[in-house]
Amino acid sequence: MQQHRSSTRRRARRRLAVVPAALAVAALALAGCAGQGKSSAEEADPNAKVTLDFWNGFTGPDGPALEQVVSDFNASQDRITVKTNIMPWDTLYQKVLTAVAGKNGPDIVAMSASRLPQYASEGLFQPVDDYYENADYESDALTPAAAEASVFDGKNYGVPVNLATMLMYYNKDLFTAAGLDPEAPPKTWDEFAAMVPKLTVDEDGDGKPEQYAIALADHETVPMYPTFLWNTGGGIVDEDGEKSLLDTPETLEALNFWVDLVREKNASPVGLAGADADKLFQTGKAAIEIVGPWMTTGFDEAGLNYGLAPAFAGPTDSVTLADVVSMSVPANADATTKEAAYEFFAYWNSKEGQITWANGSGFPPTRSDVAADITESPYPAIFGASDVTSNARVLMPGVAAGGTIMENVFTPALQKALNGEGSVDDLFTEASKQAQAELDK
Amino acid sequence: MTTLESTRLSETVRASRRRGRFARKQELTAWLFLAPAIVILTAFMLYPMVQAAYLSLTDYNLIRAAEWVGFDNYIELLQDPAFWNAFWNTVLYAVVVTPITVGLSLALALFLNRQFVGRAFVRTAIFLPFIVSLGIIAIAWTFLLDPNIGLLSYWLAQIGVVTEQGLLSDPNTAMGAVMFVGVWKFVGFYMVMYLAGLQSIPEELYEAARLDGAGAWQRFRNVTLPLLSNQTLLVSVLALIATLQAFDQIYVMTRGGPFFKTETIVMLIYREGFQELRFGYGAAISIVLLIFVFLLSMIQYGYFRRKQVRY
Repeated sequence: MQQHRSSTRRRARRRLAVVPAALAVAALALAGCAGQGKSSAEEADPNAKVTLDFWNGFTGPDGPALEQVVSDFNASQDRITVKTNIMPWDTLYQKVLTAVAGKNGPDIVAMSASRLPQYASEGLFQPVDDYYENADYESDALTPAAAEASVFDGKNYGVPVNLATMLMYYNKDLFTAAGLDPEAPPKTWDEFAAMVPKLTVDEDGDGKPEQYAIALADHETVPMYPTFLWNTGGGIVDEDGEKSLLDTPETLEALNFWVDLVREKNASPVGLAGADADKLFQTGKAAIEIVGPWMTTGFDEAGLNYGLAPAFAGPTDSVTLADVVSMSVPANADATTKEAAYEFFAYWNSKEGQITWANGSGFPPTRSDVAADITESPYPAIFGASDVTSNARVLMPGVAAGGTIMENVFTPALQKALNGEGSVDDLFTEASKQAQAELDK
Repeated sequence: MTTLESTRLSETVRASRRRGRFARKQELTAWLFLAPAIVILTAFMLYPMVQAAYLSLTDYNLIRAAEWVGFDNYIELLQDPAFWNAFWNTVLYAVVVTPITVGLSLALALFLNRQFVGRAFVRTAIFLPFIVSLGIIAIAWTFLLDPNIGLLSYWLAQIGVVTEQGLLSDPNTAMGAVMFVGVWKFVGFYMVMYLAGLQSIPEELYEAARLDGAGAWQRFRNVTLPLLSNQTLLVSVLALIATLQAFDQIYVMTRGGPFFKTETIVMLIYREGFQELRFGYGAAISIVLLIFVFLLSMIQYGYFRRKQVRY
């Protein structure tokens, strides 16, 4: 009994000790994060064995390709081991902050260049400008748009994992069934609008089409609607990321065109998330989807007879989205970790790494000088064709408020418009004020 | 004689000392038994609460050191349309879900207190959702409600109700759908509480009521309901607190959408913290929620205390 009691007391005391210990850890983490200069003062140890925890969201068919490059890198030398931690992007964005603050976090984080500035502005990452200055890493070979996408406030916070362009996938069988030429996908918005009555099919007349002309996702998706704004000369924010463009006549023209087409002509269902849109096209319930190279594997496996073409052009332009994912180093990583991460970044973007990546994933390579070596998959050449990449644009690069504007301003306003809760002009004039307020913060 | 007396005296003294030591020992034992609970409550409830109160007065973002901003967060939230939207969504959720949950669990308990074949099966079926994680339930319902592959959408279409848009992405039905899942999940648990209460009501009271000529409704109104007031207090306080903290199924099913129509206060706290990286502001909202829930619970508790009946 006595024995038991004293052990309880000891245990209780030990439990109490956990609280100060946790506080100390948190304080250490904070101190480590606050002093960004600390890491540069230290010398990197070139001989230390390093294990790097690499967080990314390549959960799809692109995951195995990524793992292949990583294991090639691990085999290529015996000092650095990269361990991948693949999780859905949503999960990654939610976990990365607490993980880095808690010191148990990743050593390398991949994220969309559209989300990066927000995290960089909050001090989560350290600049990697010295990577680009080191000639050994061959950064000059990188596609400029891919390398520049991660610049925030004059400093570069990332090294590209990929630059994925969006193309129009169209289901040839559905085109044929609608009496349309399966080799002549729509080239302009007006051509598409003319096809909508044929491609949206409501056979039983219950008001709910069994088939839609296009699958356009309005939330939790790679941006679909925002790219339309560029093709009337509008946009969400201007090039400098200082002024909202949501209430300009050009932007409103694009939004009115698409909201009308979806609401009045049933061109696409309302309320789709990105995954819903993919599913709709994959199951032959939508004739067109504009999306990146990561869907090729899924659509091929589903046995779809589809074609790829540049997305239909708007009245003034034919810009498509470039979705760049970059790798970053957390602010609290020490010099040795950072140097080891650079070695991996360099291998990833080396000729060898990019040939493996492009062949395995279908993504275009981050450097154009390997195009001839990519022979196993036709898609890197299609998505990386110069006429596609030269017309591709990153959404709000370097805008710290970009993520917030998309999630809290643009998407809600678009959903309201698509659900008929107000006119496009009113909703987006108001949204523009909110976006401007976010930019001015 | 004197020696005998002195021996007796010293014995008494010793005895009283022994008792004193015994009492102290007992007290110590009590504290030792309480210690783990106190430590856990302090470490996981009290400390985070105090910490949240402190954070709510800073601009903490989890990465940089926190800077003191005084009551700025509170002033901002009172003027923040997102806060008021979440507040009214939460009130709507609570006002609809709490009475339905309480009423339905009572009705189910009354029904399942009777003898009939398959009673155990029905009881289990109704209780089952409670032991499954709400997150998993929410995923299951998301599939059932899917406009393209969902079973429920298919059945609805069969009886002529066409849902062109998914119930979860339609602003007119999204809140109703997450409310339904909230009720469905918890009603079995509260039903069990009511069942326990029903079974503790002495049969004599019903006999006496019958002899006095009371009908079924009168027996329910004057015997059952008053004697269940303890359960009703517990169930309604628990249900109200749970509804004011609604999060799990909303997070999984709608993410607060479409356009924040289903964003509750806890969803907003999460969004401000983990998406906007504004932990200080999120903490301020959670303190406001804490005060709100505390006040409401006190009012509710006071109301039922006054109405409580004992026979």
